[in-house]
Parts: sequence; structure tokens; C-alpha cells
Amino acid sequence: MDMALDQNGEISDEALLVAYGNGDREAAFALTTRLTPRVLGFATRMLGGDRAEAEDVSQEAMLRLWKVAPDWRQGEAKVTTWLYRVVSNLCTDRLRKKRGVDIDAIEEPADGRPAVTSRLIAEDRARALIGAMRDLSDGQRQAVTLRHIEGLGNPEIAKIMQISTEAVESLTARGKRALAKALAHRREELGYGDE
Amino acid sequence: MAMNNIDMLNENELEALFEAARDTAPMPSQALWDRVHAGAEAALPTPHSFARTQPVRVGLLAGLIAAIGGWPSLAGLATATLAGVWIGFSNPEALTDSSVALLLPGLSQTETYELEDFDPGLNGFSAMLEEG
Repeated sequence: MDMALDQNGEISDEALLVAYGNGDREAAFALTTRLTPRVLGFATRMLGGDRAEAEDVSQEAMLRLWKVAPDWRQGEAKVTTWLYRVVSNLCTDRLRKKRGVDIDAIEEPADGRPAVTSRLIAEDRARALIGAMRDLSDGQRQAVTLRHIEGLGNPEIAKIMQISTEAVESLTARGKRALAKALAHRREELGYGDE
Repeated sequence: MAMNNIDMLNENELEALFEAARDTAPMPSQALWDRVHAGAEAALPTPHSFARTQPVRVGLLAGLIAAIGGWPSLAGLATATLAGVWIGFSNPEALTDSSVALLLPGLSQTETYELEDFDPGLNGFSAMLEEG
């Protein structure tokens, strides 16, 4: 079967989704491999590092993707845009339900000990960042994650969040400023001490 | 290099954190892979099935008509039946009429005929019947 290719010469997400919607089991396998890590990464960051909850959200988001496949309207939205929006909504719902719960009960990111390898430094930095992102508003956390970790452009983020591009820029800027302030006192711990 | 503001990370420092987050993205557990695959399998659409047609209930008469080839053949059957009835009720006439004369040009309309007249191989058959 001929399928539409994306800019990397791979079968596009949409073509795979349509194939799955027509009963192609292998298309589901390809989509799962391609999209589940992205969904999990985004959900984990949105949920402040709560891995178990992020896996539940990922499963639910992928299930919704399978269910929408037969009715997918081609050319209207990117599959990833749709999926990020679903994950975003699921995470927001869960965060609302958790309001009032001590989010610090979630695994504490940094232990303060100096990291001995670059990998450990990276892990410490990532944990510190995710920990600090818990204190952002949901919108700031979502915008910063999509822009600076998932690497999406502002127009696509605007579609995911269903807000204007200007609003995305504003949320991102305020979120970054808040992170920069929150993490400033941890420079040494983050490996910036000698710079 | 930009001067550090002690109260804020600079752009490079912040970017390094984002890069670290990208590099240490969580990978799905085996359990999550399994759950997602199971979901895909459970929701796998089947190819659009053709609309199921309900079997048509066929009555005995309709079945019989269909068995002999439908209404056209029934018309032929009715014609044959009527012809048989007509033949059955008609008075038999002696085969001395003009139609037999046409078959046996050698006979006049008032002459009788024997079976041998039609088939010479039956010569003597009529006499045998008469004798019993």
C-alpha cells in the first residue's frame, strides 16, 4: 500500500492512523513505537514527574487515538497536535483532582550530592527542572514543556492549547522567568558552580 | 558570556536544563507497551463488513414456482395444462378426416386404414389383435 511520507521520508503519522482505521494491525505497532515515548515524556513533565500517573495518562491517550482512527478526518490536524491536546487535557484533569495534595510527596528530584558523570548531571538537572516546573501554573508548564522540551513551534502549541500564539509566547516567557528564579540558588548543585 | 544574575539563571543555564530534560526523557515501561498494544488490538477496526441481508422467507407456493423456473415457466405450464384438458374433453373423431388423408394420400376420406398403412412392419398386427 502506498502511504504518504513525512519530511523525513517516513510514513506519516496520519497515513499510519488511517491504515489502522482500516484494520491494519502493523500500523498500530508503528504508531505505538513512535508516539508512546513522546506521550509519556510530555505527560511525565506535565504531572511533575509522577511516572505511574503519566503511564496511566499515556495509555488512556493512546486508547483514545485508536478509537478516533476510523473517523479521523485527514488534513484537519496533525496527529501529534491532537494527541498532545488529549494528554494535556487528561493531565489538567488529574492535576485539578490532586489540588491540595502535597505534591512534594512525589519523589524529590535532586539529592544535592555532586554528580560524577555527565549522565548523572543531566539526570540531576532534569529532575531539578521538573521539580521546579511543578510550581508553574498549568498553562506555563504546558507551554514551556511543549516549546523547550518537546521542541514544538508556537503556532502548533497555540493549536494544542487552543489559545493565541501571543498568549503562548507570554506563558512561555513568564514560565521561563519563574524557572530561572526558582533554580538560581541551586547553581552549584546543578553543575554550574565552576562556570 | 553573559554576566550571571545571582537571582536568576541565565538563558544558557536554563537551556542546559531543558537539554538535560530532553536527553533523559522517560522510556515507557514494558507494562505500558503491553497496555498500549492491548488497547490497539482491542480497538482494531474490522474492515467494513457488507450489510447483512436478512434471509428472505419463501412460502411453499413461491418455492415451488421458483423451483420450476419462475413465473415464465409457470405460464408455459398453464398453457400445457389447458391444452391437455381440452384434448381430454374433446370427442375423439375417426381418423378418416381430411387430416389423415393428408398423411396418407392414397386413402379417400371415407376409407378406413390399418396400422400397416402407417408402418409396414406391423403387417398382421391388426389381425392378431382381432383374433385375441
